[in-house]
Amino acid sequence: MVCWKPTTLWLLIALSPVITFGQTAELLPDDQSVTSVVDFYIQQSLQTKKLIAANPASDVTLLRRTTLDLVGRIPTGSEARTYSASTATDKRLQMVKRLMQSPGFLQHQVSELDSMLSPEKPGDLQSYLTPAITENRPWDRIFRDLILPQPNQPNQAGANRFIKSRLGDIDKLTNDTSTLFFGVNISCAKCHDHPLVEQWTQSHFFGMKSFFSRTFDNGDFLGERDYGAVEFKTTVGETKTAPLMFLSGKIIDEPSWQTPTDDDKKKIKKQLEELKKKKQPPPQPAFSRRSQLVDIALSPAEQQFFARNIVNRVWYRIFGYGLVMPLDQMHEVNPASHPQLLQWLARDMINHKYDLRRLIQGLVLSQAYARRSNWDQGPRPEPEWFAVANIKPLSRDQYGHSLKLASLNPDSFTSNEENQNSEQLKRLYAENKLAQQLDQPVHDFQVSTAEALLFSNSEQIAKELLNDGNKTLVGKLKSLETNQQVVDVACWTILSRPVEAEERSILIAYLVARQDRRGEGIEQLVWALLTSTEFRFNH
Amino acid sequence: MANTRRSSFCGAAEHSIDRRTFLGSAMQGGAALSASSWGLNALREPALAEALKRQGKHVILLWLAGGASQLETWDPKPGQPTGGPYRAIQTAVPGIQISELMPKMATRLKHTAIIRSLNTKDGSHGSAARLMHLGRRDEPNLKYPDLGAVLARELGRAESPVPDYVSFYTATEGRGNAVGQSGFLGARYAPMSLTTDSRPAHLSRREDISALDHQQRAALRNLLSQRFIRNRKLPAVGSHQEAYGRVRGLMASETLFDLSQEPQKTRDRYGPTLFGQQVLVARRLIEAGTPFVKVSRAWWDSHGQNFETHLELVSELDHVMSTLLDDLEERGLLEDTLVLTLSEFGRTPKINGSLGRDHFGQAWSVSLSGCGIQGGSVYGKTNEDGQQVAEGEIGAGEVFATIYQALGIDHQKDYHLGSRPIPLTDPGTEHLPEVLA
Repeated sequence: MVCWKPTTLWLLIALSPVITFGQTAELLPDDQSVTSVVDFYIQQSLQTKKLIAANPASDVTLLRRTTLDLVGRIPTGSEARTYSASTATDKRLQMVKRLMQSPGFLQHQVSELDSMLSPEKPGDLQSYLTPAITENRPWDRIFRDLILPQPNQPNQAGANRFIKSRLGDIDKLTNDTSTLFFGVNISCAKCHDHPLVEQWTQSHFFGMKSFFSRTFDNGDFLGERDYGAVEFKTTVGETKTAPLMFLSGKIIDEPSWQTPTDDDKKKIKKQLEELKKKKQPPPQPAFSRRSQLVDIALSPAEQQFFARNIVNRVWYRIFGYGLVMPLDQMHEVNPASHPQLLQWLARDMINHKYDLRRLIQGLVLSQAYARRSNWDQGPRPEPEWFAVANIKPLSRDQYGHSLKLASLNPDSFTSNEENQNSEQLKRLYAENKLAQQLDQPVHDFQVSTAEALLFSNSEQIAKELLNDGNKTLVGKLKSLETNQQVVDVACWTILSRPVEAEERSILIAYLVARQDRRGEGIEQLVWALLTSTEFRFNH
Repeated sequence: MANTRRSSFCGAAEHSIDRRTFLGSAMQGGAALSASSWGLNALREPALAEALKRQGKHVILLWLAGGASQLETWDPKPGQPTGGPYRAIQTAVPGIQISELMPKMATRLKHTAIIRSLNTKDGSHGSAARLMHLGRRDEPNLKYPDLGAVLARELGRAESPVPDYVSFYTATEGRGNAVGQSGFLGARYAPMSLTTDSRPAHLSRREDISALDHQQRAALRNLLSQRFIRNRKLPAVGSHQEAYGRVRGLMASETLFDLSQEPQKTRDRYGPTLFGQQVLVARRLIEAGTPFVKVSRAWWDSHGQNFETHLELVSELDHVMSTLLDDLEERGLLEDTLVLTLSEFGRTPKINGSLGRDHFGQAWSVSLSGCGIQGGSVYGKTNEDGQQVAEGEIGAGEVFATIYQALGIDHQKDYHLGSRPIPLTDPGTEHLPEVLA
């Protein structure tokens, strides 16, 4: 186990202002809108840092960005043209509302939450999340369902996958739970007290582990024993029994328990085997440690961890950079870039019953979200000030859906696509074999040469994206008379924007050089746009 | 396992200079030194001189998947109840004996250091193979880069036309244990993996596009993308351009995988086996500049009939490895090429009822030959019957630290993940100076 160097530790501690979780003084009032509060605090920090924000992005750029973030695909060519031409003053708000009401929003939410909660097994939580997201189940309910699945309740199918898929390694289950729901990676505290965060001791790691240590897998169900404790060795070799302790250090009183005799254990084992065969759940423990974890994590005194984490993760997803980075280091010596904003949003999350939609809508309507991503005034400001839009690699699903959409004949989508073509748009979200071959981006993502080779030379790309025919973009472009038309339609369809003058001449020259094989020239032009860096990122 | 020893480790300039900075990669944007600012002056910096020196070093890892027996290779115990039927033979180096199954290596032992005192305490294929790829254990939420990924980064060149990490594993047994892992270094350093045959996927141009159009299509893609990147210089964005920028070079390297380009005499020398032919491809790759190639040979897991299995596999290893060392030496490459034999573990000295040997991580051997290595040496010792390490007990970390040092890489050098420094080997790990030239 490698951890922080003590020198770094002292430096950080010396420089860090003390941020306490309970701080509520001087926050903006809670009846303001999420959007206005975001812009207030971001603007305030820009002034302090003497930074000037980038200009607002163009309409088409903002449409593409918002569409990718809300429904996981690029806009259709007609959506882009319609939005660009609209003179309505509230067109941005209407666009956001339309996207959030479309089926694609649900699909994309499921995809994003699934890859957050189940990064190693994509799709593992899909069957649980689909109904949950459809009914806009609050985040605290989702947490409760995943940690304490109720097998006989409706709309809980698949909820036990979060624990089941990690039950082979309780340390991992402990740390994943702590990281994904509370923003705190406590693995450093497994072997020794955390070197950076004074308050985190081995007891914190093993205390958190204690919530899970009695849990076992019994066929289709999870069970939990009434007995058992976690023991660990301290760095000086002393053996300790872990208390049932939450991250905050709060210890839960537990009724006394006894380890059954060996005979009783055998009887219990036999009973469990029978239940497993009959596909029935094991009996509930009189005192469930996992249930204690849910209760304490959501209790008014302790829910700051939970609320701040989800705010930070949703923020990261929308803005491409967290208010706290890394996402799993939300502790007192690693303060947020905008502590009051995080605090305000966490309070808003709690006040509005953990409604993820409210937060997402508030963020994508902010000015901070709508800035340009290009910066030409000297060194690019650090990402944590949100002075310029961060550039996000498309997720596996976003890229897959967008490639598929861009390769279709744009005539299949009219301007009223949300009504008339929802079936066609829905089909985009079906299983995408191409996307499955790509890497899911993480922070500090790099594109692999395997991806570049796949796009450059595979049969799959040629067949799925550059296919001829009346249903495809390539087919449509080949039917157009002039090169000018080809370039215009290709740019709107793939890049969701009008072609720029310089590009137009480059692209037309490319086609003119291939007059003897115009069809091939068009395929190559489409390939070059689909594989362009502009298309690969949300910018 | 908190270790304070590192805190006294100096913060010298060389820790912060990595290959990318050194090369002033344009992809790093404003964060890195610009190409013009380091100029020739930078060459006076000792760390940069060191970095220059590392250029042109290579590693070929012969991965003996399933667990090769140390008793039938590098650490024979003739005459012991655990010794098995094979004798020990004298090598060209006085005082060092190895198994009679390796007569060719015995005459070439002047290039090789044997480590006989490895105790990795792990007898499970999956986790032990991970350990011997990483030199340490992953943390629950932190995946480390494996040896190949680290060396691709340390020894590779950003603009290299050849792949910088190639991994052969064409057998199916145990392949899942030995997959390449670039961990927190990211996909840029993931291996080009060959699992179905000896040629990589998507390396050749499809027939429906001409060579010229393929090239010009890529140039058009590049031109459009450059316009986009102009005011968006960020590492992730740059990596997309960089990946496509390497396509043409990688495609040109396809001939490296084509053994028909090699004289029949050379192919015959390596022998007709798939392992032999893949090691020859490895030699072609490193000769062309690839820093790291892993060639896996499966399946050494001899729970039954250990001696028949090892007769076949060790004889092949002996032939292929000695041919490789000869070939490298003749080409003047051995000085800059490190050849390793690693495995997930060794095998039990105790011979089981099926005349097999089982998994054994308590006292086993690996070998290092060539670049930076004190050839003709043995590090560590097992006891009489090979059940325990008697002298010089080490773990996987020490082997990795020694590999890095042999290549001129400070194994305590830090990578940074956010603000967290992560050294190449776990804090407190020491390299083995006795093994180094």
